[in-house]
Amino acid sequence: MKTITILSGKGGVGKSSISASLAVLLAKKNKIIAVDCDVDAPNLALVLGLKKYEKKETIQTSEKAKLIPSKCIGCKKCMDTCIFGAITWDKKKNKPIFDKYLCEGCGACELVCPANAIKLDKVKNAVIGFGKTKYKFPIFSGQLKMGESGSGKVVTAVKAKAENLAKTKKFDYILSDSSPGIGCPVIASIQGSDFIVAITEPNPATLNDLKRVLQVVEHFRVPYGIIINRWDINKEFSEKIVQFARKNNMPLLGKIPYDKAFVDALVNLTPIVTVNKKYEQLFSKILDNILKYL
Amino acid sequence: MRIAITGGKGGTGKSTVATALAVELAKKHKILLIDADVDCPNDHIILSAKLKKEKDIFQVQPVWDFKKCIKCGKCSEVCRANAILFIKEKYPIFVPDLCNGCTACTLVCPSKAISKGKQKIGSIFHAKKFNIDLYTGEMRIGYEEASPVVNALKKHIKSMEKKYDYVLIDTAAGTHCNVISALSGCDMAIAVTEPTPLGAHDLDLILKLAEVLKVPSKVVLNRADIGKKELIEKISKKYKTKIIAEIPYRKQIIEQYSKGKPIKDENITKVIREIE
Repeated sequence: MKTITILSGKGGVGKSSISASLAVLLAKKNKIIAVDCDVDAPNLALVLGLKKYEKKETIQTSEKAKLIPSKCIGCKKCMDTCIFGAITWDKKKNKPIFDKYLCEGCGACELVCPANAIKLDKVKNAVIGFGKTKYKFPIFSGQLKMGESGSGKVVTAVKAKAENLAKTKKFDYILSDSSPGIGCPVIASIQGSDFIVAITEPNPATLNDLKRVLQVVEHFRVPYGIIINRWDINKEFSEKIVQFARKNNMPLLGKIPYDKAFVDALVNLTPIVTVNKKYEQLFSKILDNILKYL
Repeated sequence: MRIAITGGKGGTGKSTVATALAVELAKKHKILLIDADVDCPNDHIILSAKLKKEKDIFQVQPVWDFKKCIKCGKCSEVCRANAILFIKEKYPIFVPDLCNGCTACTLVCPSKAISKGKQKIGSIFHAKKFNIDLYTGEMRIGYEEASPVVNALKKHIKSMEKKYDYVLIDTAAGTHCNVISALSGCDMAIAVTEPTPLGAHDLDLILKLAEVLKVPSKVVLNRADIGKKELIEKISKKYKTKIIAEIPYRKQIIEQYSKGKPIKDENITKVIREIE
């Protein structure tokens, strides 16, 4: 079983749309599982036209500090220790106030409290959805609950679910769609991947973000290739990206043009390869290029 | 007045709107623009502004004195960030990129073998362009936690905020800790979205977050003419807010953006009318 992860650094460059089309094509000859690792704003199931998850499971990967008021002696050690600024002081009651959005659940306050007045409570911080798409492959999606923290750990949990199923039922591929950025959820998406597909667009901001995320990918030594999306919006700049890739020995997996057909496909919640022959061919070529590395 | 420009979904035009707003507002007002997308900051690229480093951001990091370490493994046990690996009868192994600086390990160590050092987690940059003061936070590559970098950035600008008429905070995509840090304490959130099911789905999430954080929100619809506007109207209604401007999909806007220039569009004035 091999894991292919789609990422980009910058948001909105077409990760989910491209993931959906690649998944549909890959599933034609292989047993695959799709995973949405953008747990902040998961969209892959939506793009694949999934209306309802078959199963939903609440998970707890985060903890929050909670006060046991009767034990508190008002020493303020907890507030002095918290580096996240999550503890303020209630002068009237002479007791700490915990801000649940700022609390990282590190447990330092619990350790420093001489009266054992602080406990860490497990928090139901995310939901993992499981469903079967109409393209005959299953999907796992993580969704962080509003205002909760620990997106990296949620990504790891969603991936573990998919990996378990893939191992027991002998699947060939896991295709995972990552979130924008370069921080904890993206790092959790990269870890354990066999190949990374990095999406970019021909403009300075997107190229800048691509370079940042590729540094993280290189840190974890995962092989990768690049797709230039909407390449014809600025052909000159696209040529620059091609040169940049060549100079750094980065495989160019393919170039996708700008076409309103992509917007229409997205609005209708159908991956473009299922409704457009031309793009079915283009994406098949891109997929072949990816599979060469696996 | 402190205004966050956010959106939930990535690539909807947050930075494009934030920079265009800043350029327009700066013609009459004193403007502080904060690029709080510390994962991938781009405002300086759109403004073609040259960033100068103001300072590095450091965070507490444990340092072990192995002469004192008794290899008990307690530091590893309490580390919820999984930054300390412990194998029996060996010294603990520290993974700096995972450490969030909480100091739990220093508190629990029975032999006082762990002292407080520091590690660089990011930097703050400044640039002046079009009469805008731009402050940009950038997370160090390989480091995991964006929100301490955002918090350090907000702390850095706190003392100077008073000098400005408007503080615009451009947030990252998504809804997790780094966006929460950027949104909290703002007087208004402008959610930039697009008329697609994905835009609507993520707008729902970010408006809910703004509601939870008690920040009033308004919606700006980008690429307004390519998709289904009703999707966005429905979500806006759900949160009792409205679309204050619609920016059409125009080749000229895309070209400006792809050349790294702030966009000019009459719809930006509509946004300004709402906040002035």
